Amino acid sequence: MDFDRREFLKGLTAAGVSAPLLSSFNLKASQSHSPAWKPPLADSIKSTCVNCVNFCGIDIQRSDGVIRAIYPDQGRREYYNYGLCPKGASGLFNTYNPYRLKKPLKRTNKEKGLNVDPGWVEISWEEAFATISKKMDKIRQDNPSKLIWQHGHGKYLIGDKFPKAFAKAYGTPNLIHRTTTCEAARHVADELTWGYHGFLPDLKNTKLFVNFGANYFEAEQFSRWLDHASLDAQASGMYSVVVEPRLSVCASKADKWIPVRPGKDVILLLGIAKQLIDQKFVDEAFLSEYTNAPMLVGEGGKAIKDEKGEYLVWDSVSQSAVPFTDEVKPTLRGSFNYEGRQVQTAFDIFVDSLSEITPQYVEKTADVSASQVQELAQMIGKQAMIGATVMVNGQAKRYRPVALHTFRGLSAKQYGVQNWRAALIVQMLIGSIDAVGGMQLHSAYKQPKYFEASKAEFPPKRVDLQESVFFPHASHNVAQQVALTILDPHRFGLPYVPEMQIFYATNRPFSTSDTQPQFESLKKTFNVCIDIVMSETAAMSDIVLPDLTYLESWHFSPTRYTPYAKHTAIRRPATNAYNIPHDGYSIIWELARRLGILDEYIEQINAKWGLKKYPLEKGREYSAKDTVERIWQEKTKGKSFDIAMQKGFVGKHLDDSAIYLGGIEKTFKGPGKPKMKFYADQLVDTLEVVRQQVAKHKIKTIDLDAYALSLSPIPLKGHGFPTPHIEAKAYPFYLITFKKMFRNQSANTATNPILNALGPDSQENGVVMNASMAAQKGIKEGEMVVIETRVGKVQGKATLIQGIRPDTLGVSYHFGQQSEGLPSYARKGIWINSVLELHADVVSGMNSFNDTKCKLYKA
Amino acid sequence: MTQFGRVIDLDRCTGCQACAAACSVENSCSTETPWQVVQKYEVGKYPNVRENFVPMGCMHCEDAPCEKVCHEIDVHAITTNEYGVVIFDYDKCIGCGYCEPVCPYGVPQFQNKRETLYPDKDPTPYEAIPVENQHPLHRKKSGIAQKCTSCWHKIEKAIADDKIERVGIDPEYTPSCDLVCPVDARVFGDLDDANSKVSKWIGEKKAGQMKKEYGTSPRVFYVSSGGDY
Repeated sequence: MDFDRREFLKGLTAAGVSAPLLSSFNLKASQSHSPAWKPPLADSIKSTCVNCVNFCGIDIQRSDGVIRAIYPDQGRREYYNYGLCPKGASGLFNTYNPYRLKKPLKRTNKEKGLNVDPGWVEISWEEAFATISKKMDKIRQDNPSKLIWQHGHGKYLIGDKFPKAFAKAYGTPNLIHRTTTCEAARHVADELTWGYHGFLPDLKNTKLFVNFGANYFEAEQFSRWLDHASLDAQASGMYSVVVEPRLSVCASKADKWIPVRPGKDVILLLGIAKQLIDQKFVDEAFLSEYTNAPMLVGEGGKAIKDEKGEYLVWDSVSQSAVPFTDEVKPTLRGSFNYEGRQVQTAFDIFVDSLSEITPQYVEKTADVSASQVQELAQMIGKQAMIGATVMVNGQAKRYRPVALHTFRGLSAKQYGVQNWRAALIVQMLIGSIDAVGGMQLHSAYKQPKYFEASKAEFPPKRVDLQESVFFPHASHNVAQQVALTILDPHRFGLPYVPEMQIFYATNRPFSTSDTQPQFESLKKTFNVCIDIVMSETAAMSDIVLPDLTYLESWHFSPTRYTPYAKHTAIRRPATNAYNIPHDGYSIIWELARRLGILDEYIEQINAKWGLKKYPLEKGREYSAKDTVERIWQEKTKGKSFDIAMQKGFVGKHLDDSAIYLGGIEKTFKGPGKPKMKFYADQLVDTLEVVRQQVAKHKIKTIDLDAYALSLSPIPLKGHGFPTPHIEAKAYPFYLITFKKMFRNQSANTATNPILNALGPDSQENGVVMNASMAAQKGIKEGEMVVIETRVGKVQGKATLIQGIRPDTLGVSYHFGQQSEGLPSYARKGIWINSVLELHADVVSGMNSFNDTKCKLYKA
Repeated sequence: MTQFGRVIDLDRCTGCQACAAACSVENSCSTETPWQVVQKYEVGKYPNVRENFVPMGCMHCEDAPCEKVCHEIDVHAITTNEYGVVIFDYDKCIGCGYCEPVCPYGVPQFQNKRETLYPDKDPTPYEAIPVENQHPLHRKKSGIAQKCTSCWHKIEKAIADDKIERVGIDPEYTPSCDLVCPVDARVFGDLDDANSKVSKWIGEKKAGQMKKEYGTSPRVFYVSSGGDY
């Protein structure tokens, strides 16, 4: 090992990590003796961390009521997290932060802009509520749709059911969460394929784990289980492959790192699929029994159905096209004549589509060698052990110990849905979905509606255009679209002009791509921002309301499950550092009261939370704690709230039957059951509806050819060529983005002194580039360089590493804060989002983050 | 006889730096003098490259050169207690700085002046805990040597509670760096107990010591499939 702690510490100083010699305070340390130690009164509170969306169990340590440290809750180890991340361990500085918003503020300067002084004046809570509710009331009398509620992290602080209940009671359809800046494309791909979303690998049994760009050692959902469980699995012999352009921590820990060219993952996946088929690593029984691969498809890619609307397969016994019922043996491959029409099986169509995706084509396009493609396909095919079974509680169950995984690696792209669909299809080919050792689905087929064509609504009712003709299968809101619609409602056919936005714990405009229009749109509405620091969104608001932090407030906490356990938890306050009287919950409650819709709001709370045995009663006041108690009792079927207060949670281990014998075994297997969509025929139907809507309403802004590509029922090689790869020919580098462990984009980690002191890269990001490439260009470590995209330019320090492709530059998010409400040391680094091209995935609405191309040169 | 030591499994460590963050919080470290750092470095050339992560606090050496030099100048501010933990006495230290260059691991540090964690701002409630309520090992002084204590204030509590066997197991008796690791890459316990996790890890995982050539006999061991140090 070639390193030196002294050099490391010098690096911290050079990076400006040390605080300047300004306000020191006297420890009263004498040269001879310190005062005798009086141990303070110590206690601890079990709660949940909400620095990210892992919701780790925490054990807050207090000394005389002051938060002194945060430990992991040991009780949670067997259900979810074993430890904490640095954000969680230093989470007291999310609360003890002098840059916190402490009083309501009103802007006096009507001009809005990131470099414009808002002229903040402190106002009373009464004035704040009176002003806000008066505006909301006026809007409600006119058209409640003109009010938009946006949240991001707010969903995890108080839950989205309270805002949903409020929006319903108020009458606005416009409640928008951030999922399209997260992993919406992956969710929609899941929904189109198996009727709900979410999955985890069966790591206790997985033998081969192929991870496409998930970064669970640094960030993302489920990481505090995935990190520990994947290392355990590797220690037990699991082979791990990571496919991504950058050497992430996951790639460092893997057995093999395949640095695929950015955006070409789908090409590699289709190449693997072709190899699996050519080498006969295909679980035909699985495809026939669980999926619609045998489904007959006719002209225009449409599924063939009988007069009752039943899908048809070709029965190898009767040699006829029939629904898949008992006694029918579906044919997987072939072309047939049905009622004078030439029809093919869906599987056949897929195989035909792969004809050009040879290993050599993959090598040329994705820069993964032909031999590597063949080797990986062989590895997957052999390790899948097609045909193998294991006994689970007396029943034979498929054993396919191969799991493919992703988070944003495949999904944060223009063709995010098709990218993850390709990985789902590979897993269908080997029959590993919901198999022992494979990918375990969360609530298979919970929402059958996802198997239907979209209504492709026009004109849209919602400002984010969710499930409209523009984003027909966007079932998770379209966060970044709100701003674009506000800028030009007529362009999108929105029949009203939004007037007011309430942002709850979200820094939306900072976190999308091509951010300038996001900020422009904020000038057009009256904005209220509820947050804990002066984020960029808050800086563009008319009224800012301070919120309580996750260590200061009550909530029925979200939790993360694993394939083997789940738990129910609450969050409790450990302090109120600045005596702030309100949080998101009580703000909504007060607004509902002033608007005269409190009873309707209570009714909706009961509906959204499913409070049947322990409902809230109309006409009564409920504090956050009161409500948390009722929700806890409802969700735990009457368990005493004392348990929540003492332990913070209750957990349950799942037995093998629950883990392995439900899922797709119950929903999709066998004759007469719905089938997983190997071929997403509903997308073909949706395209037809889109075409009809475009023609009917003369919509000029939809490129039907582009929609036809996006809405393909199967992934195609065209999905490996997002718009910048085709158009930005003068921009030679691929630009990718990634997360780091010690920051988020909400701006409230940027001032954390513990996080900022962790290392030279924790206070400032740089332009990560391949060292050999940099040497060729004469760029040295730390030198200022410019990244120029078709959107704009940013500059930052060159960070030279070996662990990235020579044709790729990487910049991490959550730096380059712009708000003047933050100190200068919290505003270092590159705001990479500002120059990313935005080409939303039209299927899901997903914000594209990793498709941009750029130039690189010295500043 | 109880001798505390630690094993860090670098094959598991993901460089998340939770240990560094937890240590700074637990031990009221200033931003310029962290007691725990995590080194990160690459090995190899693209595309055959890996990144390694190495958390480093004090090694609590059996033959601690810092202790030796402090005795030689007759200051005696550095001692190894009966449990194998090397402790600095802030009241005795004269700030000569000799301990710093003799340590092969760059552990002893000196802070210039104690600043507030947020420059230009008043102390937070965490910083404003009265001196008498701060454990003496958390009362660092300007110009006086300081370093990792293996959270001796927690081990001291275990001794007072007669729970020495729970050190490294119960959160209140476990060094915070070892406690928070999300992937269980670290264990702390009794090196003299053959059945302790630290002892078993040393044997089963073939743990080694860093910079053995200096003859310091550190009580912190590392597991690494990447080879010798």
